[in-house]
Amino acid sequence: MVSISFLNPLSPEGKDIVRELGSFEAISQDIPELRNIVTHNPSQEIVDDDEIPSNYLELALKRMEWYIKKKNDRNFNARRYSFLADPAITKYDVISFYLLCQAIGVKFGPNSRENRVMVEAQGDLVQERLSKLHVDEARMMVEQSLQLLLADDRVHWTFFEELLSSRKIQLTDLILDQGELILDQEDFIQRFGPKIQHRNPLSMYQLLIGDELKEVIMVKLIMQATEDYIKQVNEKARIMVEPNPILLELADQLAEVLSEPMQRYGYGSNRGGGGPMKIGPLNPLAFPPCVKTAMEGIKSGGRNDAIVLFMTPFISYARLYPDVFRMNVTKRVSDQDPNLEIVENEILPLIYEAAENCQPPLFDDQPQEKVNINAKLGFGMHPSLKLEHEGETTWYTPMSCEKIKLHLPHLCKPDDVCKKIGNPLSYYNRMMWVLEHQENENSDDGEEDSNSGMGADSLSDVGMDSGDENLGEE
Amino acid sequence: MDLKPANPNERRQYYREEWSVKDVPDFIRKSLIQREFGFDHMGRGPNDRYRVFQNIEYLRKFMRYRAPFAAYSSVAFYHKPRRRDGWIKAELVFDVDAKDIPLRSCGCANVCEICLGQAKEIVQGLVDTLSGDLGLSDIHIVYSGRGYHIRVQDDLVTRTDSDVRSQVLKYIVGSEVPRSEYSHDGMKYNLEHFTIPFAYPKVFTDRVKQAILSLDPSMELDGVNMKLIKDAIKHRRLLENDQWGIFRKNIGPQRYAKLVKGIASLNLTLVDAKVSIDLKRILRLPSSLHSGVSMKCTLIKNLESFDPFEDAVPNFVFERKD
Ligand code: SF4
Ligand SMILES: [Zn+2]
Repeated sequence: MVSISFLNPLSPEGKDIVRELGSFEAISQDIPELRNIVTHNPSQEIVDDDEIPSNYLELALKRMEWYIKKKNDRNFNARRYSFLADPAITKYDVISFYLLCQAIGVKFGPNSRENRVMVEAQGDLVQERLSKLHVDEARMMVEQSLQLLLADDRVHWTFFEELLSSRKIQLTDLILDQGELILDQEDFIQRFGPKIQHRNPLSMYQLLIGDELKEVIMVKLIMQATEDYIKQVNEKARIMVEPNPILLELADQLAEVLSEPMQRYGYGSNRGGGGPMKIGPLNPLAFPPCVKTAMEGIKSGGRNDAIVLFMTPFISYARLYPDVFRMNVTKRVSDQDPNLEIVENEILPLIYEAAENCQPPLFDDQPQEKVNINAKLGFGMHPSLKLEHEGETTWYTPMSCEKIKLHLPHLCKPDDVCKKIGNPLSYYNRMMWVLEHQENENSDDGEEDSNSGMGADSLSDVGMDSGDENLGEE
Repeated sequence: MDLKPANPNERRQYYREEWSVKDVPDFIRKSLIQREFGFDHMGRGPNDRYRVFQNIEYLRKFMRYRAPFAAYSSVAFYHKPRRRDGWIKAELVFDVDAKDIPLRSCGCANVCEICLGQAKEIVQGLVDTLSGDLGLSDIHIVYSGRGYHIRVQDDLVTRTDSDVRSQVLKYIVGSEVPRSEYSHDGMKYNLEHFTIPFAYPKVFTDRVKQAILSLDPSMELDGVNMKLIKDAIKHRRLLENDQWGIFRKNIGPQRYAKLVKGIASLNLTLVDAKVSIDLKRILRLPSSLHSGVSMKCTLIKNLESFDPFEDAVPNFVFERKD
């Protein structure tokens, strides 16, 4: 029987495991049994003895390494991390989880990239573990976890406020009735059965909710709980006198694990067809009509929105993370540009140039908009870009065409390429691809290949992707 | 009835003889001192803002003596409303402006009975979803003078942020095409939204139906060509009896998908999104005069029987001699 804490270390069972451990003394001591479990896992591949975690701290780092490599390394070999999905490690894994959360809480805080990676890694790990279990067992585990997480079988959708706000889940994906989330089969049949015609209510239940939705909700709730826990640690740590040096050291090692692949692989792609979009200098030839218009400056109303809400996300993503919609992984500016050199030398100058071209020039009468630009890059409401402020706000993703048409209609003068895309950034990617193709093949027919593997704007094709609380207050 | 602006004399007459502070809804009177008030005295937009009234008597006097062109109060509650500081919570608001309805069949320049009727129908749908699917109950509907405001006061939602509000908005207007591919036990199945008679797919189906039934050959839809619009109109009678399957077959599944996607993005404009996600907005004060069209902004008791041309016309309009 797999323990519930294998999925959710924050469960009562997981907390017991931590309590039993008692003090910090044992943390860095060798655990022969852990090595034993790892080496005896039948699907485990071991190339080097160093790869075997021999204590809690090493296991903690392995957890993160797994996630980072999986995301970034195109030659990622899952078999080298098989032990992570082995329920036999539960006891050790739970402790490692707590160590990680505490290290991050103490050293980096809730707005850090480390925090975000930890939360995402935990989500992925839970899914990975579930997928390795027998279907029935996985189903039971999800069921049990949900019972613990939801505490009540009647849950109002506002219970998921945090998850909705961070867009971890979409309201439209939930099955709701009278405000309540419907997950349970009997509940479903009782409420909707009479409405269903020509179909078997049970099979409809299996399709609409079944295992999938439950699993998603469970995973997201665990992610949220992890985030909340780290925040809690952070708050305590600020009052506490001195954090345990072991935690600080773990934090440093963790930072190393996280930064290494950034340098090694840049940011890569392991999803979908086609290679990653290259990041590189901006090519104004590939700008969509709306961006070209905005570059020339806004002559009348809507200056602020055009520069702050439209140009800032577009220019920064086009330069640093053009693949954002296809990768569907949120990042920070510093993930792509650790020293903010590109931001300072290429991105801001371009945005400022567009602002200068406005009539009257935007900063002449509204210098405070510079702060808002920084905020949209994720650096909070501060007059300068400082890494320590990063994460106070989110790096806004570029507005969809639809939203531009709603809020900044005078910018949108669609051409033929526009018909095929939903976001100016996809326009840019598409055109970059076309331009490169032209060069490479040295032919001048601009006919593009519809299978280029581009333009799937999964993150925000439709609608209100970025929270624009600043739009028109009057 | 034509909707002319009210002149200053008419405004004065309205606030002296017709308006009563009792017409200000309870949900505002109760929270008076936590709200910011704003006024437009010249008809150029609300630039007299950050006003606070310590009690209802002060508001009464202000309105009587100043007879503003327009009056507003915040949807937000503040500890320090005078500085718009100490935000506590904000009503969840949806603004359906008849003038901005995406598929208007009347083609009028401002608003008329037809588009106001259309707006009312839309509002009815949105309110049904808010109370049915989303389980909210403290919902007030206000006639704004040019459309309707839905104002939700349930504690469950008044503290939510813009992101949650935008999710609610997308849900109730049906701006996201529900997925049609589902899987179970490793098998893939297709379930179109109209085969699911509850939850979001049902909301979406209702909104799409409403839209297709009010389509007009001259209208433009993103990614939908004229021929497709014409075909949708040609077959739309099928939808009156909910024969979606046949409708889809006649249109062709791929074109159907296009049509539905176009309508989904159009649905996003049923409601002014900026109003819903702005946590500090001011909104026309119910009972006040909309001087631009000479109508009363009115709290509605019964939406079904409400008729703006009966229930929201101030007396002075009937006394006009022209
Ligand atoms: S359709 Fe999109 S990309 Fe093209 S001009 Fe309009 S907003 Fe820009
Ligand atoms: Zn009309």
